[in-house]
Amino acid sequence: MVIVRRKELSLSERLYLPEIVRGLSITFRKLFEKPITRQYPEEPLPKNEVTRGQPRLVVKDDGNIACVSCGMCEVACPAYAITIDGGETDRPIEREPKKFEIDMLRCILCGFCEEACPKDAIFMSDELELADYSRASLIYDLQKLKRPKSALQKRIDYVYRLNNRWRKSSSTS
Amino acid sequence: MTTKQVFEYTRHAPDHDDPVHGAPMKVNMGPQHPATHGVLRLVIELDGETVTSIDPDVGFLHRGKEKTCESLGWHKFFPHTDRLDYVQPLINNVGYALACEKLAGIEVPQRGNEIRVLLMELSRVMAHLIYIGTTSIDLGAVTIFFYSFRLREELYSILDAYTGHRMNNTYVRIGGVYADVDETVEHMVAEFLETAPPRIDEIEKLLTANRIWYDRNRGVGTISAEDAKRLSLSGPNVRGSGLAYDLRKAQPYCGYETYDFDIPVGTVGDAYDRYLVRMEEMRQAIRICKQALERLKKSKGQDVLVEDRRYVLPPKGDVHTSMEELIAQFKIVSDLRLPKGEAYHAVESSKGELGFYVVSDGTSKPVRCHIRAPGLMNVQAVPVLGKGRLLSDMVAIIGGLDFVMGEVDR
Repeated sequence: MVIVRRKELSLSERLYLPEIVRGLSITFRKLFEKPITRQYPEEPLPKNEVTRGQPRLVVKDDGNIACVSCGMCEVACPAYAITIDGGETDRPIEREPKKFEIDMLRCILCGFCEEACPKDAIFMSDELELADYSRASLIYDLQKLKRPKSALQKRIDYVYRLNNRWRKSSSTS
Repeated sequence: MTTKQVFEYTRHAPDHDDPVHGAPMKVNMGPQHPATHGVLRLVIELDGETVTSIDPDVGFLHRGKEKTCESLGWHKFFPHTDRLDYVQPLINNVGYALACEKLAGIEVPQRGNEIRVLLMELSRVMAHLIYIGTTSIDLGAVTIFFYSFRLREELYSILDAYTGHRMNNTYVRIGGVYADVDETVEHMVAEFLETAPPRIDEIEKLLTANRIWYDRNRGVGTISAEDAKRLSLSGPNVRGSGLAYDLRKAQPYCGYETYDFDIPVGTVGDAYDRYLVRMEEMRQAIRICKQALERLKKSKGQDVLVEDRRYVLPPKGDVHTSMEELIAQFKIVSDLRLPKGEAYHAVESSKGELGFYVVSDGTSKPVRCHIRAPGLMNVQAVPVLGKGRLLSDMVAIIGGLDFVMGEVDR
């Protein structure tokens, strides 16, 4: 326990005028400091692999997405932003989404879909800006969600690295 | 015969502006008043400029968070806890996680706890910086607002690098934290812990002996320790009155009992004491952060999440290869069940005792999730503290009590 010290004002502090000069000297010194402000659209914030932006579907090297429309991300989403309609396909994975929509107005970028996905199909990109002229255009469908693997590589590596770390220390299985 | 008409004030038509004979005037302070820190409406009855009664009206930001928890389920409530007291999301995360862990009976690994402590103390500094910034701007010191927000910006960069988001971090999970971090982030934290104390000193130099700040805070909103207890105030508000009650010492969690820190207490219990207590608390928080950082260096590479396939998601690599882990993944995501029972766990947030009371009937949805928000109790104190003071003192009282309406109304 430490009792905070209540300061009594000295004469110069009570007079206030000398204190104005002292206060101004502190603020004046700030003129010569490096500014912390950022010219935002020209100078965006630094993004790294930890940044959780909007979720995107990875297009693999063969041109397809890995999603089998199991609905795990739909279940995991706390904002009910994801809607999936599954269907069959001739590809060896047998199932694929006929409709995959993320309502970007509802999405809160929590990353639960990425965590829940058992097929590594959905990842959080570093895209953060979101603006458009209509609400309907912000409900992203498959075409708008697809991103080449190269665009998401940093995040994919990060998630794999995390999981390797867990696997090493895993005692079960 | 003509009579000269004389207009005179009568008893039937009192002059509302007359401070001596006028009727009491009712004034709405808020819900859009900038000094109410959110959407609090105070119906204030004024006699001249003196406040005779205050009736706080809360609920403008009610979003039904407790009910949301009951319909969403255990795990999916984490993003919602971020949005309770949005200036310190990580403390809310940890409070809820601790209640769930108490119910499930799981122990968080040591490194997980160290990361939690580090992040909670950084959040505490962040929340107190908001208090300093907003209260000083309400009382006319705009400079402090920029200084404290500049420092807070550095903290946000750290949290961005740590958790992936600046606000609403959603970083804590039942059983630990989401991910470990590498050295670069730890360097950022270490650098902040070096540069922050001089900047806090600078803020203190501008405020503590500032005649305006001094006159507007000293003796304003004085409350005795007994009354503070009776109003169930907690946190810096009760410590300002001289009661050394801090949950980190009283009911230690996350291993706080092993850290070396002091609880600052005030002597008088006015807004000035509460300010001094918060300034000292920031320094103590930085002290805890330094210790936590030392421990993190030692525990490098250890687990941050408990290995428990009932509550914690399996590693992704195993999900791809093992059927057992794939089943566990599906079960945890879609149907995370906590055992039947009830649990209450409180953490010391920057505002006071933040408690989560959860009741489970063994299914994937909680039966009840009650949030004991310290801010609500702080609002309760406004009528007591403000009565008999001048209207202009209300700003200092509200600022000094420091509540966030997101948490009060939840």
